[in-house]
Amino acid sequence: MTRILKTPAGWPTILLPRAGAADPTDLDAAVAAGAFDGLRRAIRDLGGYALVAAVGASRLRGRGGAGFPAVEKWRTARSVDAPRRYLVANGYGADPASETDRTLLLRNPFAVIEGAAIAAYAIDAAEAFIAVRAEDAKVIARVAAAIGSATDAGFLGHDVLGSGHDIVMAVRPVQGAYMLGEETVLLKALQGKRGQPEQRPPHPAERGLDGMPTVVHNVQTLAALPWIIREGSEAFAAIGAKDSPGTILVNVRTPAGEGVAEVPIGTKLRDIVKLGGRLPTGREIKAVLIGGPSGGLLPADLLDTPYDFDALRAAGAHVGSGSIVVVDDRADLVELIGVLTRFCSTEACGKSIPCRIGTRRLAEIVGRREAGLARPTDGRDATDLAADMVASALCDHERLATLPLTSGMRYFGSEFDDARRPAPVRTEATHG
Amino acid sequence: MSLIPGLGLAKGMALTLRRFFEPKVTIMYPEVRIDVPPKFRGRLQLLYDEWGTIKCETCFQCAQACPIECIDMGGIDTRGRYHVHWGAAETYGERREESALRRSGRPVPDPAFRPFQAVDLGELDRILEEHDHDPADMLQILDETQAAYGYLPVAALKQISHVTGTWYAMIYGTASYYAHLRFEPAASTEQARAVDDHRPPEATYLAALDAALGGNDRPGTPARA
Repeated sequence: MTRILKTPAGWPTILLPRAGAADPTDLDAAVAAGAFDGLRRAIRDLGGYALVAAVGASRLRGRGGAGFPAVEKWRTARSVDAPRRYLVANGYGADPASETDRTLLLRNPFAVIEGAAIAAYAIDAAEAFIAVRAEDAKVIARVAAAIGSATDAGFLGHDVLGSGHDIVMAVRPVQGAYMLGEETVLLKALQGKRGQPEQRPPHPAERGLDGMPTVVHNVQTLAALPWIIREGSEAFAAIGAKDSPGTILVNVRTPAGEGVAEVPIGTKLRDIVKLGGRLPTGREIKAVLIGGPSGGLLPADLLDTPYDFDALRAAGAHVGSGSIVVVDDRADLVELIGVLTRFCSTEACGKSIPCRIGTRRLAEIVGRREAGLARPTDGRDATDLAADMVASALCDHERLATLPLTSGMRYFGSEFDDARRPAPVRTEATHG
Repeated sequence: MSLIPGLGLAKGMALTLRRFFEPKVTIMYPEVRIDVPPKFRGRLQLLYDEWGTIKCETCFQCAQACPIECIDMGGIDTRGRYHVHWGAAETYGERREESALRRSGRPVPDPAFRPFQAVDLGELDRILEEHDHDPADMLQILDETQAAYGYLPVAALKQISHVTGTWYAMIYGTASYYAHLRFEPAASTEQARAVDDHRPPEATYLAALDAALGGNDRPGTPARA
């Protein structure tokens, strides 16, 4: 099981239970600790309108990486006249190097289920799905068991807590593509189709599963909802950054070790990196890769950047999967950027041409640098191409796939100097 | 609007002249092949010669080469045009009738010849029954079919297409998108599990992160169990 990194005692814990808490699969213990109290209050005390207002006042933003205000999706879904609506919890965790969603589902399944029930109640959805990785049998078993016991206890299923609303929840295992982390792609997979994103608008909150309004939230977004209802919107809004309150899970990897930690949004990168342990003596931080395979590389002198959606975007990285990888001065950054760019290219679904061809050309440019065969125009070509891809992007994968290379060129230009690469090996060109 | 009139024209002509004297790049297709993206699916286009006559000679080589049978040819229609049909071959069943094939010069199939290996469809029928023959459950149907047979046999895909009413090409397109679905039996169960648990792109990415972090000599947890 993934290690939970020790955080300073003053940091709030909303998503993960305190160390030494009871068995996460035990419903009675969870209810004794306050689980499903938020759902009860949402249904009995608040009702639909007040619930939306309360979550709106907490300024909760989606934890899936883009940081979209959660309540905006609810308002859209509620405003559309439809015979039924759906709620989808995205626990796929597309980045194989980030265990944040998985850890949350294993350690605190009832918070996700309760949050999903609250959100389903808020948008009047009778069906909710929790999408998880199909190869992760442990998570599937645990979430399915938790849904089963919550249904038996009357928190889910027919006529929830006497409200007259039905909320039927199910685990939906999906697998086989990195792109499934994107919400429209995930919806395609849930409908048994090829996983390619859709043009927006219409947003899934207007037209999603089966053409019905569908709200897709990351599991971390949902797990924060019970806390917001229980402790109040003001208490939540007071935690973390001003524009994006609350806490978020990060997966820190350093040469000294790795693990998952819950940090308030807006914490300085320096403090998050410290959680991963001390670097070996004589080594210093060279770069921090933030956001997973399509993340940005930030240099050590930007470690005072706050970890929040807007500040990271401005610096050339993004929250993404919550993965934070600290590499020391031994690492070859060009090689790392090459692997990341090729990963993004291989995993591109092929729907949008700037993405399909563009990611491939970017990978070729990095490949030439790696082989010491760089052309003088490569830097400018990469910048132009990246700008075009961002401008014509169909989904976020396309926009973000450019980040490893552009942030690498922006902060680590000297790494790309030809003098540092091995002597070129000339081969006969096969064509062109 | 440029300050000097005609500058744009001069620029354009300069480019034309420059290109005119550059060496031509004709890629000598079957000998030299361009490296196309893995998800490249191409686009069908019929070419016309300089007299405006379509160049297609209805040789059916493209239809025969198409792995998902999305190309079908109907020979000459009443207006003297050639047809390339999009979509499932099944839809154009009448073109496959023996007399139609003879008229268009196609080889008539031998009914005794089986183009793909037959499998016992009993298990598949049970899976389809369980999902109520609903195409919306296609991924689950394909997952369970692979679990039952170890891979996705062509006969099974044909049967799924026949029973759910989904085009074979659509099913093939879905199945070929997801990396865990395979069309041939794995060499061994260990190999199958290795591929399923660690898809090659993910494994490369994780290995690169480990390399950047200084190899395996550090404490911490390995990748997912």
